Amino acid sequence: MTDYGHDLLFGTFLTPSAQDARQAIDLAVASDRAGLDLVTFQDHPYQPAFLDTWTLLTYVAARTERVHLSGNVLSLPLRPPAVLARAAASLDLLSGGRVDLGLGAGAFWDGIAAMGGRRLTPAQGVDALREAITIIRDLWDTGTRGGVRRDGTYYQVVGAKRGPAPAHDIPIWVGAYKRRMLALTGEMADGWLPTLEYLPDGVGSFPALNARIDEAAVSAGRSPRDVRRLLNIMNVRFSATGRGVLDGPVDQWVEQLTGLALEHGVTAYLIGGDDLPTVERFAAEVVPAVREAVARERG
Amino acid sequence: MELALGVVLDASADAARTTELARQADAGGLDLVVLRGGPDTGLDPWTAAVWVAGVTDRIAIGTTGFGPPPEHEMPYPSVVEKARESAALLTGRRLVDGEPWATAPAGADRAALEALAADGRTVVVPVTDAEDVARLVALVGPVAGRRRTAAARALRRAGIDYDGVPASLAATAVEPGDPEYLAVSSTYLRGGAPGLVLRPETPEQVADALAFARAHTHVPLGVRSGGHGVSGRSTNDGGVVIDVGRMNRIEVLDASRRLVRIGPGATWKQVAAALDPYGWALGSGDYGGVGVGGLATAGGIGLLGRAHGLTIDRLRAVELVLADGTPVRATADEHPDLFWAVRGAGANFGVATAFEVEAYDVGEVGWAKLGLVSTDLEKSLLRFGEVATAAPRDTTVFLVTGRPQRGQSMIQLYAIVDSPDPQVVVERLQPFLDLGVLVQQEAFMARYKDIMGQAPDVGPEGHHGQGEPVSRSAFLPGITPQAAHDTAELLRSGRVFFFQLRTMGGAIADVPADETAFAHRTPAFQATAMGVDQADLDARWDRLAEHFDGLYLSFDTDLRPERLHDAFPPEVLARLRELKRRYDPDALFRDNFPIDPRTTT
Repeated sequence: MTDYGHDLLFGTFLTPSAQDARQAIDLAVASDRAGLDLVTFQDHPYQPAFLDTWTLLTYVAARTERVHLSGNVLSLPLRPPAVLARAAASLDLLSGGRVDLGLGAGAFWDGIAAMGGRRLTPAQGVDALREAITIIRDLWDTGTRGGVRRDGTYYQVVGAKRGPAPAHDIPIWVGAYKRRMLALTGEMADGWLPTLEYLPDGVGSFPALNARIDEAAVSAGRSPRDVRRLLNIMNVRFSATGRGVLDGPVDQWVEQLTGLALEHGVTAYLIGGDDLPTVERFAAEVVPAVREAVARERG
Repeated sequence: MELALGVVLDASADAARTTELARQADAGGLDLVVLRGGPDTGLDPWTAAVWVAGVTDRIAIGTTGFGPPPEHEMPYPSVVEKARESAALLTGRRLVDGEPWATAPAGADRAALEALAADGRTVVVPVTDAEDVARLVALVGPVAGRRRTAAARALRRAGIDYDGVPASLAATAVEPGDPEYLAVSSTYLRGGAPGLVLRPETPEQVADALAFARAHTHVPLGVRSGGHGVSGRSTNDGGVVIDVGRMNRIEVLDASRRLVRIGPGATWKQVAAALDPYGWALGSGDYGGVGVGGLATAGGIGLLGRAHGLTIDRLRAVELVLADGTPVRATADEHPDLFWAVRGAGANFGVATAFEVEAYDVGEVGWAKLGLVSTDLEKSLLRFGEVATAAPRDTTVFLVTGRPQRGQSMIQLYAIVDSPDPQVVVERLQPFLDLGVLVQQEAFMARYKDIMGQAPDVGPEGHHGQGEPVSRSAFLPGITPQAAHDTAELLRSGRVFFFQLRTMGGAIADVPADETAFAHRTPAFQATAMGVDQADLDARWDRLAEHFDGLYLSFDTDLRPERLHDAFPPEVLARLRELKRRYDPDALFRDNFPIDPRTTT
């Protein structure tokens, strides 16, 4: 049993499709109206069929009221940290504190290179992400005097002006699967944001991967509780008979999500599929039941 | 003079006020919000501009004074470009490049503003509170009709006299810079970028639209009802579209004769729903989202076809506006030649504004969707050809299949059995079950309106087609072993992703060939094939020509001139050409199987 005790967050993991831009916006607006906590969009700038995720996120933030927005996850190799920091803080100010920052070290390097980005090895990607997170937090930190100066291997900042400070403490969530990235997550991140379908053993991966994060957090003088565990679940549907994770009747969804929270400490669930009826049903029937069940078990 | 005014807002950290003032300027009819950066604002200009676009509906947005980012904060140019494209799609291109405005001092009076506006630029004035914005809104005055911002006007297309749009149509016309533009630019299967969409609501307004079109023959003209046209190009690039979608009334004229008057902009789903309470129906195609106007002037080969004939066989009157703006009522007695022509070649002769149809009694019918997997497509097609034509005329079955996968074809059958007796329905469907291994079946007693009602409604956001459909059509006298073989080979090529056979015969064949301009009364099937490359599909389809007897002009996108001879047999074409000379001598209507009035061949 692992429960880090965070409050529960429920949201959507949406495709920033250019052809179905209206649908993407409708799904985000519906998520907001249905009372979900988070709307997140994939970020693949090299994918011609997709919109620019930051632009879409900003537009959607302007057309929603309560829901938080995040990239899931933003592609660091194509979004320099200083640009990200100022854009995220700006949107956080404009939206009244509704921005969270999902970050990834980069995948699909051919696509990244085709867009003019720098091709890195996985190990270099981890180091670049570490430098980036430091710079982003420095730029947000307007309480410290003087400009930001970081002479990293991948990113250099020379006396950059700080600010703007975001409206709220923007959490940085990292997409991580491998050993070094999990260690970085424990060491620095506010959250871990993997996708279920990419975990080597599905739900069975959690004990080992959580342990790596916990270990790294403790080594860095932090608490495992400092790292929220989030989860994307791409393939979901309501069906009459249970076939798998989030593929079954409502009761089974509730049972599975409650289990994920109490046994593996996962406290944010972002569902894919881009299907409005599924999103509405998730919000109306699953979310309150999971909240209730988890609250009951936690006592 | 008409003043185009905007506001300059400090893009300060007081985001709530920026949002509020931008919204006030937008609602008040101002043209432009300029976000001004400064040494202390720190807001990212792109994020701020997209945010303001998101909280407003029509106003243009510019930025000034942010300065270039420091070197280490340079975004990738390719990502910036992508962001701009995305913003254009999301905001209707309201983000303005450069600084194409003149800036007045805060509090400038009307005379000062007019002086600055003399060169036609939008004049922007710094504001700090709601009173400042209200003063500018008052200076602009009440908005008469639709006001377009300078940014919106910049998106106008060459060759269109936007100031000459007839007064009766100005309020509802849509241009590229308008917020509704994306909703009217594409159709169901086709992406488009028309320069102007006119949306008439009366025959008089249609005549006004046609007068405008006559002055614009140098750009394309499309006529749209439901926007489902394949051969009918109801959108275009840089041209004019006359969209009669708002003319969608459905009215029972005489219940004793089941006589109904229908506007061209209604969809068949709406027609079916309106007729159902009377226990009537009127067969259309196979999809309820299709509009009345396009189908009812072409034919209408539908799932009630064998039982009740083509849709055009139930027309009793067609009202249309001719190319010269004359309204005409065509019936068997009034303008009978035109009445003949619009039933099969209507797109060549005018814009229909109303149809009077005689519906028929239809109660519950059997509705079935069957999915069958076939490992021998040739045999399945041959068998379908036999069974579908041998079925009693209460039974109409359509077949759809696509690319075979791993040697297997998924055959979908759609059927209506016009009988309220479930026993009869089951009997009628039985012979179709051995076309393959039955893997899906859905069969129940239904109202025709429920079958048409399966098509989703098109919301205010309109259609989202992209690119150009690639489609060929043919009538088949029957499915011979060689035709089945050649069709199976075509499908095995993988170059056709959609293939449909619509079964004809029955009541369709009861009507003499010379009764309507749709002259193909005897074929057993209408076949449609859709691919991705027109030249490739043409080459493959042409090879099957020996099996064909003409084509259905609704479903063919081949633009080679000889297709006209497939659409119309020689004597029909000769008669149509004669009528074209009389009713549309300058060939204004030219987007869908145009008949050239000047040639004789």
